Amino acid sequence: MKAYGATLGVLFAVGGAAAADELPISMREHKIGYVTTDLHWSVYQTSNVNTDCPQGLNGNGPRETFKALYPNGGTVEGTQLARESLKMFPEDKGPQFPYILAKGTTAIGLNLDGKQDTGFTSPSGEKGIDNNLFKVIGCNAQYRAPDGQLQLFANKLIHGFNFDRMMIELSNVDDLTNDDDVEVTIYRGHDPLLLDATGESVAPGGSQRVDMKYGRKLIQKMHGRIANGVLTTEPIDGQWPWAIYFDTPTVLHMRDMRLSLKLTAGGANGLIAGYMDVDSYYHWLTSWSTHHLSYGRLDPAEFYWALKNNADAYPDKDGKMTAISSAITINMAQVFIQHPEGGVDVQQRTADVTGARAR
Amino acid sequence: MKPVVGLMGVVAVLGLAAQASGKEPPFGATDPKAVEAFAQVPMPPGFKVGESRLEGPVFADSHGKTIYKWPIAAMRQGYAGDPKDKSACEDKVTTKTGGYMSPYPEGLDLPELDKRKSCQALWSPVAADAKAKPVGDWTIITRGDGTKQWAYDHHALYTSYLDQRSGDVNGGTTVYRNGGDTPAERSPVGPPADVPPGFSVESTVRGRMLMTDKKMSVYVSDHDSAGKSNCDAACEKLWRPLVAPAGAQPHGDWSVINRSPSVRQWVFRKKPLYTYVRDQLDESLDGSEELGWHNVYTQLTPPPPKGFSVQETINGDVLADTNGKTIYFYTCGDDSADQLSCDTLDSPQEYRLAICGGGDVERCRRSWHYVPAATDAKSDNQLWSIVRVDPATGHEAKPHQAGALRVWAYRTRPVYTYEGDAQPGDFTGHARGEWQGRRNGFRAFWIRSELFTRT
Repeated sequence: MKAYGATLGVLFAVGGAAAADELPISMREHKIGYVTTDLHWSVYQTSNVNTDCPQGLNGNGPRETFKALYPNGGTVEGTQLARESLKMFPEDKGPQFPYILAKGTTAIGLNLDGKQDTGFTSPSGEKGIDNNLFKVIGCNAQYRAPDGQLQLFANKLIHGFNFDRMMIELSNVDDLTNDDDVEVTIYRGHDPLLLDATGESVAPGGSQRVDMKYGRKLIQKMHGRIANGVLTTEPIDGQWPWAIYFDTPTVLHMRDMRLSLKLTAGGANGLIAGYMDVDSYYHWLTSWSTHHLSYGRLDPAEFYWALKNNADAYPDKDGKMTAISSAITINMAQVFIQHPEGGVDVQQRTADVTGARAR
Repeated sequence: MKPVVGLMGVVAVLGLAAQASGKEPPFGATDPKAVEAFAQVPMPPGFKVGESRLEGPVFADSHGKTIYKWPIAAMRQGYAGDPKDKSACEDKVTTKTGGYMSPYPEGLDLPELDKRKSCQALWSPVAADAKAKPVGDWTIITRGDGTKQWAYDHHALYTSYLDQRSGDVNGGTTVYRNGGDTPAERSPVGPPADVPPGFSVESTVRGRMLMTDKKMSVYVSDHDSAGKSNCDAACEKLWRPLVAPAGAQPHGDWSVINRSPSVRQWVFRKKPLYTYVRDQLDESLDGSEELGWHNVYTQLTPPPPKGFSVQETINGDVLADTNGKTIYFYTCGDDSADQLSCDTLDSPQEYRLAICGGGDVERCRRSWHYVPAATDAKSDNQLWSIVRVDPATGHEAKPHQAGALRVWAYRTRPVYTYEGDAQPGDFTGHARGEWQGRRNGFRAFWIRSELFTRT
């Protein structure tokens, strides 16, 4: 849980002291909005990397594979371009180097399919956690906190880019602790985040206009319920924009995407979980240059095969899995969502962007 | 697929309004024939100022060829380009990579060495004769071989073999300013824009955009009449008049009006200027979403060819073909000390083929499609042209060559659509390649994309 309490006045204003029979100001009209402040691929790790990864972290990054394959250099097309080709077309060659998978049995995530035999238990003891992506990324320095480059920068850019300004709005909410039936709408915001006095953390109580110009395709509806302060939604085939480099817009496509968020008047913290489309994930990752991937010794083509070989859902016509169970840890701050005049008709917007708009 | 017509501001700026809706560009949009004025600066004999629709006023040699500089730039590993008052562009063919762009090492053999030319052969130094004297910011440097070369503002000057006509800027552009991940790029050199202190002009794909010296957009309103502001107190809550100092004088396109006693406002081409209080980002186009308000351009770029459209995406507006499919351009600079371009029809095609097809020509053709030009199509401007390509090689086709394709090109480079885009608004080919496509790869042809400016 990220601390949002630096601005006491704001916390009070957004409902910390509301009477039981009176909705806090952040829930006016039985709605409450939250905006994304942090995203991390969920990696369970202890303080001892040797315990988490007894074989060590993956060491065959782009520099290492290049050196092993071309010890005497060569032509640009026979070396550098061959590796960049393989980054674009990883199936042109099978795996060439050993890849270290995480072997631990504790994983952060959700039970996506109701089955208990996944081999993963959550840190709180829930069995049947589905997160095969953790196997692939758990022993890769890029993804490990606190200083994995992808872990660090992919999250940092959430603050900086309006492209990533994803929000949820709960409507039909009577109580943030228990409510059997709430509607959840995903929007993209159009404004900078409200930062607290440190200039680093996001404060609750900001406002965001809905991006109705370019964000219409990103509007998505979910049904959910709140139990013991935790929102759980039904799954949808969802999309979540997450750009991790300048001028490089990338969108994650997640099958059976659902949210599990601990709600307060000031924030929502928890997971986005589902089956990541493997191609979408690889495209997202390789929006980082080979140089950036080399920080964490992540060779893209080798990573692709680890991803593909651990995919566990949505088989294609040949029976090959196309999606991998995964979880993203998300922090959100309460925000007042400003709708355009006339509201947002999601069905109409969907029709708009699928063809009727071109009139 | 029809073009999106909800984006009149952008569409009009690109000159697509007429074909999209049958209407003329809205009142207040920049006159497509307008030409940017420039400050008069001393020049040596034999030079002149040419007109580039993309880059505005540019210096040109006696033949009208655009003049470029190649400023030293920080690469991921080391520096490339000209230091101050020196030229690093020599008459020597470079054969190895410099290892400037991590993670690949230096010393790899560059492609097609039998055909490779020296930097100097492709970038002719602007020669100064023995009697030449420095004039203003124009100075003379001595090259490594002892010959004299003109420099401007301490930058050695060159012309490009890619430029054929006056106003061509095929050698380089300032439009894509992406910092250290691009090659050390050549860019045209020109006189300063003729704008008062506090203003600046930047090249964009839409035109030469007028903004404040802090890069904030400036706007004009249809609600104003010539030389008169009708923006009242309520209006001023959203639109902040650009206040002129007491000593401001009319000059060229610029004049001043009195909003009230002692409060003066800048006027450009008879239209009072404002900033938009809701703008949070540099070079914003948000204010143009307000009815009757427009960004200001000193001049517009020519429209793309007939049949192209503008498509709305989740990342902004992108140029699209007649079916609404996103248009891409390919860009490439090699990793040699010369940082030569490898994205032209006469460049080694190994770079492009690696990215578009993994080295496989047929896969490349299946994945990335040239944009065919209709039999009767022709370009009426210098930015867009029709080129004949041999699809088997990616090079320019020989005259009367069978199977050659007649395709559209931007700044002489062919443009493409991508097989991976299933529907209008998709841009899955964007940033495919080395360094998000900035050094060797494909980039979507964004017309408007402001979601990545840091907040």
